[in-house]
Amino acid sequence: MLALVWMAAASGTAHAKQFAIVADSANSTTNLTSAELVKIFNAHTRVWPDGKPITIVLRDPSSADMQLILRRVFNMTADEARTFIHTHAGIIVVADSDDAIQRFVANTRGAIGVVDLYSLTKDVRVVKIDGKLPVEQGYLLRGN
Amino acid sequence: MIQMLFAFILLLSAGTAAAQTSQRADVLPLTTKSEEVRRLVEKAWDLDLDQVQQEQAIEVLRKALKIDPNFAMGHELLAQISLDPAEQVREQQKAFATRGHASVAERLIVEWLQDASDHKLIPAITKMNDVLSRYPHDKWVVFLANWWLTQQTQYDRAIAVFENSGLDSPGLMNNVAYTYAYTRQFEKSFALMDKYAAALPKDPNPQDSYAEILRLAGRFDQAIEHYRAALALDSGFYSSQFGIADTYSLMGDQVRARQEYEIGFKKFSLPELLRVQWQTREAITFVRDGDYAAADRLFQAIADDAHAKHMSQPEADAWRQMAMYQPRPKQAIALLAKAQAAVQQGKNAMAAAIQQELAQILRARVEVAVDTGNKEMKASTLAQLARMSRNSSDKIIESAYHGAAGAVLFSDHKYADAIAHLEEDTNNPFSLQLLAEAYEKTGDSSEAHRTNETLANFNDPTVEQALVVPAFRKCYQDPSCDSNFKGVSLKKSFPRTF
Repeated sequence: MLALVWMAAASGTAHAKQFAIVADSANSTTNLTSAELVKIFNAHTRVWPDGKPITIVLRDPSSADMQLILRRVFNMTADEARTFIHTHAGIIVVADSDDAIQRFVANTRGAIGVVDLYSLTKDVRVVKIDGKLPVEQGYLLRGN
Repeated sequence: MIQMLFAFILLLSAGTAAAQTSQRADVLPLTTKSEEVRRLVEKAWDLDLDQVQQEQAIEVLRKALKIDPNFAMGHELLAQISLDPAEQVREQQKAFATRGHASVAERLIVEWLQDASDHKLIPAITKMNDVLSRYPHDKWVVFLANWWLTQQTQYDRAIAVFENSGLDSPGLMNNVAYTYAYTRQFEKSFALMDKYAAALPKDPNPQDSYAEILRLAGRFDQAIEHYRAALALDSGFYSSQFGIADTYSLMGDQVRARQEYEIGFKKFSLPELLRVQWQTREAITFVRDGDYAAADRLFQAIADDAHAKHMSQPEADAWRQMAMYQPRPKQAIALLAKAQAAVQQGKNAMAAAIQQELAQILRARVEVAVDTGNKEMKASTLAQLARMSRNSSDKIIESAYHGAAGAVLFSDHKYADAIAHLEEDTNNPFSLQLLAEAYEKTGDSSEAHRTNETLANFNDPTVEQALVVPAFRKCYQDPSCDSNFKGVSLKKSFPRTF
């Protein structure tokens, strides 16, 4: 028996995850379309509208959290993504935790990262995708 | 030993607390003028978490707040553990109103939980993580974060908070063992259960929890052994008696399950809501047997009894569950109308429970509409459910909406769209079954396989499990049952076919 009154018992399934796109708090871009996001993460777009260079920070492509991002943003397998990151080392940085991603983004003008929504800290700003926050229905980076 | 250690830490803090706030750097500062209040808060922890004596813990916190009505964190803790919905609301308001008297960290906790209650999820998350970054090893902070994240079904993050804390309080171990089990990390869960049982060898709850987790893992015989061990330690620990009954039901021995439920009803004087819950489980044994007439009689009796006692939510729930296995759609719709009428009465029920029940009734209506091809009922009911979901951050309501929307999209052959919704309702066997099939139809056979495995190992004693899982397992384990058409063939074998 559990302490507290808990919700209905869970089945042991992987529940849908929600990811947030985060930028440094000085970044004036508050919303990206899905297409713009894909172009940024695929290194086709390399500067923000204000001219600041974009630096992308991610978890290792083989991590469980990255699978949805690989499918919906990169359209690559983990191996393809690893090679892609290697060939774009000046633009893409790999961090070993969501905290590390947020520390990097908070301290790097022009940085953009992706983190588990529930790891979000006050030091970064959430960028909407297609006008939607991660908590809204139909948000791009929500799923298994 | 751990409980004593924490008591010692707080006493040290109290000793130096000429100020109103406890001083130790890694312990959440509790701002109160009274040393007695600090002692009572510690006692509430032991009672609520370690001994699972929630009602006594609530009494202790009420006593603490009489001594110091400006103790914001005390109001917040009472708001979180109270069993009375009116008190939950009242205490949350008091916590918010008195937070100006509290330390920064206490204020963050109060505001995090206030934001959560106001459906402001992003600020709630950032405040939770702010306080966690300040006090990652404080037991109250870790407990509240683990509890809230689990409520949000964010099991991985809930586990990470615990693992980072380095804490091994028995109560936390108990809760986190369940979180591991929900993510099917059973070896980690059992390891924690071993430690929990060793920490409280004379307490029945570790054995009861161990049994429930073994049952989730499908290890039914061992589950029954642990339930019996709990009863040997405390013959009045009724949840273990009903745990045995639930386990026999999941094992497929409905006669033995009913005997065990009856033993429980005769032996124990139960709180009314729990009595109804286990009467419902007994009714489900007849559903599992395919004896719908007997199930109808029992569900009808439960609903009538709940109605007579002015318990609207249990009455509605009995009608709803009864509707779910009806072979004739007209009968199912009539029963769902009775369920809806009962929730509209709303007697003796917290508003949240009424809304959750209504969402589940609407979801059942959508499923009937899908099965009968009633487009108007499908669209209007789904629209009502969507409105409820948009205006709520309640996971049960959200899941009901996503399950219903997924079923509608699946029936319209929009499989990719259906997947996005069904993935949000993976605690429901109906959704899991559709999800596996939708993955299959979109060519994602590895996700289909993973989802089928989850469904085959789904061991909650609910009516949804009874209607889906045994039939699914039969086909899943039968090589002659064509895997491409498992979902379809099972749908045809459901009681509700038209």
